Amino acid sequence: MSDHFAAFSFVDRITGLVPGTRAHGSFAIPAGIASFPPCLMAEAVGQLAAWVAMSHIEFRGRPVAALARETRFVRAAKPGQTLDLAVEIEDCDDDAVAYRGWADIDGARAIELSDCLGPMLPAAEFDDPLAMRERFAVLNDGGAAPGRFHGVELPRVTRDGGVPGSSAQGTLAVPVSAPFFNDHFPRRPVFPATLMLDAQIALALALAHESAHWPAGTPLSPARMTHVKVRSFTPPGAQLAVGAQMRPGADGEATVMLSAQADGKSVATARVVITERKLQ
Amino acid sequence: MTTTAITQAEIDAVFPTVAETMADALGCDVEDITPNVSLIEGLDAESIDFLDMVFRLERAFKIKIPRGKIVENARGNLTETEFEQKGIVSEVGMAQLKAYLSEVPADRFKSPMKVADIPRLFTPETFCKLVVQAQRDAKAA
Repeated sequence: MSDHFAAFSFVDRITGLVPGTRAHGSFAIPAGIASFPPCLMAEAVGQLAAWVAMSHIEFRGRPVAALARETRFVRAAKPGQTLDLAVEIEDCDDDAVAYRGWADIDGARAIELSDCLGPMLPAAEFDDPLAMRERFAVLNDGGAAPGRFHGVELPRVTRDGGVPGSSAQGTLAVPVSAPFFNDHFPRRPVFPATLMLDAQIALALALAHESAHWPAGTPLSPARMTHVKVRSFTPPGAQLAVGAQMRPGADGEATVMLSAQADGKSVATARVVITERKLQ
Repeated sequence: MTTTAITQAEIDAVFPTVAETMADALGCDVEDITPNVSLIEGLDAESIDFLDMVFRLERAFKIKIPRGKIVENARGNLTETEFEQKGIVSEVGMAQLKAYLSEVPADRFKSPMKVADIPRLFTPETFCKLVVQAQRDAKAA
């Protein structure tokens, strides 16, 4: 089976669409995969918004991840569960799309994104616009066959500096090849920003577990990610210099300031708030 | 179209919120946002930051700022072909640009100037003017 619309595509079906305004959709997380991290739920919401935005401008452009003011992580998603996706488009034209959205599991909120903004780039640079139109029609008419996603190997940061429990530096080695590059995107492979953020959250959690801010063994999880700003594309094989700096806060929370650079230039910045709870 | 010049009092009224919004978008201290600092050369802003700032200012002031509005405003009554030729700002266009971006020191206007380089001139005060104009447009609508 082709990786296109499979290896990194997280909308199976669009179940309700008000063109250019809002949409509902779904994605069945295949039961056989190892895990489905929160960042992929965010990716699913973003992809639904992208379909609405692209169709609104006749597939001339496609939005790319750039800004997300706040993402709230409420529940974990497990293989075999279905994400009920929703987006509300706040503004959309040939330059950018602004939206908010969420994913529910069994009627309960799992993740919520607000104040997201993605600049539009020429769609044909990334994929065949005709193929995208056809795919959009399939998603709206009965949906795509489920089970296309076979999981993804999640790259992790190799730490090489910092102060345990306080700060960390390291390298995120982006794979040279991976099935997701054939889907994201067929004409221009780009390392998904959500996978980069997932690796950074994992680093932040590791730092938090080392910290004296919580008693040893306290269950910790990301509560929300804020101020996400992705400045440039990351190609296959890139080596990202990743940094994390923890700022302990009140009420059992701490904020970890995250950065990623390539060749000395900022690729992305974000903050993740770690809290004292286990994501259910 | 005739427009009344934006006054210093109007700029002063919006500047604190503009500065706070910009500092949040750029991840710098609000004290770094002085009215006439160059956003690109002084504060390392990139195109994504401009998009971010416009988005945040729209929220903060409950206004709508059409993208490309600064250059459109700067062009004033000139047509596109009067303002620029083959991507280079014309002589009459440069005079109009200097009048619109009156807060920018004269030595920062390079000649010849590419239209694509106009954002290099932008300062927080430029965005204050944009906000004031959008507020006026909203009131007039």
